[in-house]
Amino acid sequence: MAVNLPTLAHKTWRTIASIQTGVVLLILVVILSAVGTIVLQRPATEPDEMQSAYSPQALRILDAVGLTDVFHAWWFLGLMLLVSLCITAASIDRFPNSWRYFSRPYKYPDEGFRRNSHPQKSLAIADEESGLVAAERALHSLGFKPERVVREDHFGIFAERHRISELAVYIVHASLLLIFLGTIVDGLWGWRGYLSLNEGQTSHIVELRDGTTRTLPFAIRCDAAGQENYTDGTPKKWWSKLAVVEGGRDIQKKEIVVNDPLLYSGVRFYQSSYGPNGKVDKLMLVASPSNGSGEKKEIGLAVNDTVSLDADTTVRFAEFFPDFAVRDGQVYKKSNQLGSPAAHLVVTSKKAGKDFDVWFPALDEVADNSKSPWQFQATDLKMGHYTGLQVSHEPGQWGVWSGVVLLGVGLAFVFYVVHMRFWAVPVCNPKTGKCSLWIGGSANRNRDAFEQRFNDLVALVEAELKLIPRISRSDQVATVAGN
Amino acid sequence: MARAKAEQQQPATGMTLIVLVGLAIAFLLFMAFLNVVKSGNLFNETNLLFATLIFYAGAGALYLGFGVTGTESYVKFASLATWLGLIANTAAVAHRWYEAGHAPFSSVYEMLLSFVWTLAVLTLVAEKKYGVKVIGTVTMPVAIVGVVLMQLLRTDVHPLVPALQSTWLHVHVALAMLAYAACALSFALAMMFLIQDNLKTETFLAVTSASTLAIYTGIVLTRFEKWGGLGLVAWDPERKSEVFLSRGVRLFVTIPDLGWLMTLTLLVVASPLVFYGLARWKNNDSFLMLANRAVFLSILLQVMALVMFMVRARDGRYPSLDADGLFPTSLAASPFILSGLVGGVFVSLLYLLLLWRRPDLERLLPSADNLDRITYKTISLAFPLLTLMIAAGAYWANQTWGSYWSWDPKETWAAITWLVYALYLHMRVTRGWRGRRAAYFAIIGFAVVMFTFFGVTYLLPGLHAYA
Repeated sequence: MAVNLPTLAHKTWRTIASIQTGVVLLILVVILSAVGTIVLQRPATEPDEMQSAYSPQALRILDAVGLTDVFHAWWFLGLMLLVSLCITAASIDRFPNSWRYFSRPYKYPDEGFRRNSHPQKSLAIADEESGLVAAERALHSLGFKPERVVREDHFGIFAERHRISELAVYIVHASLLLIFLGTIVDGLWGWRGYLSLNEGQTSHIVELRDGTTRTLPFAIRCDAAGQENYTDGTPKKWWSKLAVVEGGRDIQKKEIVVNDPLLYSGVRFYQSSYGPNGKVDKLMLVASPSNGSGEKKEIGLAVNDTVSLDADTTVRFAEFFPDFAVRDGQVYKKSNQLGSPAAHLVVTSKKAGKDFDVWFPALDEVADNSKSPWQFQATDLKMGHYTGLQVSHEPGQWGVWSGVVLLGVGLAFVFYVVHMRFWAVPVCNPKTGKCSLWIGGSANRNRDAFEQRFNDLVALVEAELKLIPRISRSDQVATVAGN
Repeated sequence: MARAKAEQQQPATGMTLIVLVGLAIAFLLFMAFLNVVKSGNLFNETNLLFATLIFYAGAGALYLGFGVTGTESYVKFASLATWLGLIANTAAVAHRWYEAGHAPFSSVYEMLLSFVWTLAVLTLVAEKKYGVKVIGTVTMPVAIVGVVLMQLLRTDVHPLVPALQSTWLHVHVALAMLAYAACALSFALAMMFLIQDNLKTETFLAVTSASTLAIYTGIVLTRFEKWGGLGLVAWDPERKSEVFLSRGVRLFVTIPDLGWLMTLTLLVVASPLVFYGLARWKNNDSFLMLANRAVFLSILLQVMALVMFMVRARDGRYPSLDADGLFPTSLAASPFILSGLVGGVFVSLLYLLLLWRRPDLERLLPSADNLDRITYKTISLAFPLLTLMIAAGAYWANQTWGSYWSWDPKETWAAITWLVYALYLHMRVTRGWRGRRAAYFAIIGFAVVMFTFFGVTYLLPGLHAYA
């Protein structure tokens, strides 16, 4: 093939680095992201809901193209990579120019520049040196540090401020790349999952988003969890007391709340949900003998606990149903949610040689509450709770946050830091011998405000010129020679 | 020449003013009705808001009156009314803050309250500092729409749910309000620029009318039901989803009579285009004036259609042709119709604004170049604010949900807004986009902002459930 490879490569490079490519890519990102918010997205939407919202054919097509999970589709990732490439290429393409501008500031304006520069002003001066001195003094009083520029037999004054502003746009682009890099690192090496712990439970296995599990090198124990409500019943606060256990020792303890996670070796644990786990923590009872002769007793029972009431009788908390149903003389668990709870106690009497089934509530089919030698009154049911924790590992987030800070700084420079330059050059007409001081200025943004500043400078120079006595030609030469 | 003549004749006729005053009165009556329904003691938030509304509406009407008649003294009074409205607005914000015990940032209602406040402040700043005296012509209607929307939203004070108890909430929302208000301002300035820039209004008339016509044709063709009803998707408030008969088949309910209103609006919306066609065909500019009148009428009907649609689709249960019984519906069930109706009113109002170009108005406005520069300045204020807003939101999300970016619709649309303004800046800096094209961009940017603010909340589901 007769394709000139270097030319092709050059053309490709030019295409990637061009602003047109960047604009087209950004518009594509905008359109595809918008589509991703309108079409229901996969992991967030339940499969049932997806199926009811779209017809099977439509769903098949959407799934095949990846529109049901736009932001994780390979083509979206590819597009983001292209955007990064475009930003990088455009920056590399333009950087040398800006760098030259930055590293070799234009200090002495030649004649062509002087003719076309705006704003500019020429002031009549007696001789070169007095013009230079006046310009220097004026610039000093405006807070600049003017320098004298010598070019062969010409002199000039140059002063500038915030040269860094010329490079600000590269700071912005670099910060965006840093953010992308952070997200890519997170995408490759990070993971997110869920961990549900009952109070008192310890676990080191996290369920990941994709259904797999991940074993942590340490374990997390939940010592306690709770919820506080506002007076109107809406939740005010969820909290969990967590402990990191490694090698059998408690390494770290923290009470986490929403917005304040626990961080241990790069893994973060966020308070995400809280609720009853359907298990009873303690059933509080007041027991009194059926014959009315003995004293009342307050007891608290966990499931399977046995307590003796007197020398003859013991009570055991046999079963607990968070949500019960009775069918054919049997009690069943309807669900794990705390709905209508039922508790089953077994009272054993040695004397009678018999067990009595005491139920709360007293279910006619199974309970013999009235026959029991002790009567019970349930005062409180303390339910066990679970705490739901979001677990995430984001090794790239430092890239993201430093990128964000850099982005803020970069944008501040781009929009609000102006690179200002001032030049002053004495120009003498060899025929007439008359001299004038050419003053010019330039700013890379906010030019209308800059013109005001320029006019201030010109006024100052004029004022200084009036103060300076005439310096003779010979003095001036001596000054230069002295330098 | 002929065009210039038509334009000189067009405004300042009593007719336009009367239509506008009529609009204002209809508007106030509607609001008063809403307030009677609510009832309450004298110095409560509702009344403060009502005062805000009346003052802003007064300011808006005066700015409009100025736009139509060119009477300069109107501007002074409009500015005064804005100040009064701002005082009432500040009192409403303070009342809310005191009552809720937290800054008014935690629901759409509260954020609208803050947004309108910020917008009024920025309007006065633009007026005093940059001398853009008539900026209120654009920003005040936006503020009025905001206050009206507040009347339709739930106002009860909710304590902050755990996820919202964060300093970052305040940082994030305060930045968002500032950024959005700056965007609104840039939009207003861009409109002023277009007025100042001698844009040819006929083309705009044709485009505006054609797009509103397309919207209403679409609605009537697809949703007109027997006996003048309007078919809407039924909504299940418990599951917060549309009601499905079977897979992919939605259940439609019929709201009676609304179909007739839509058809009537369709006819009126079509009329400016007909007059425009006639003007081109007969080469007679008097038809253009008729077309402009027709636009006024069409706005009146469009607002009515929108209000009726919102009122009737929000509450109530309606019968369905496909199933027995009554089913509720919701604005969320008909996102496209709602955005179509709002969009129609929006573009028609934009056209209305362009019509006000008059020599005396031009004299009061800064030069086109200056307006262009100030527009750029407000965007260069809005863009860093948007960036910081997104960054603060990401940081907060990272602390609450364990992930700094989860592509939920609000986040995605915030990113889209950011990208649109980034495009604007790139086009301006590298391609030298100035003037008209930059102004169009600023207008599009603000439309995207509005969609991010309202559209996403009401039309797209996501994690940002509270706002």
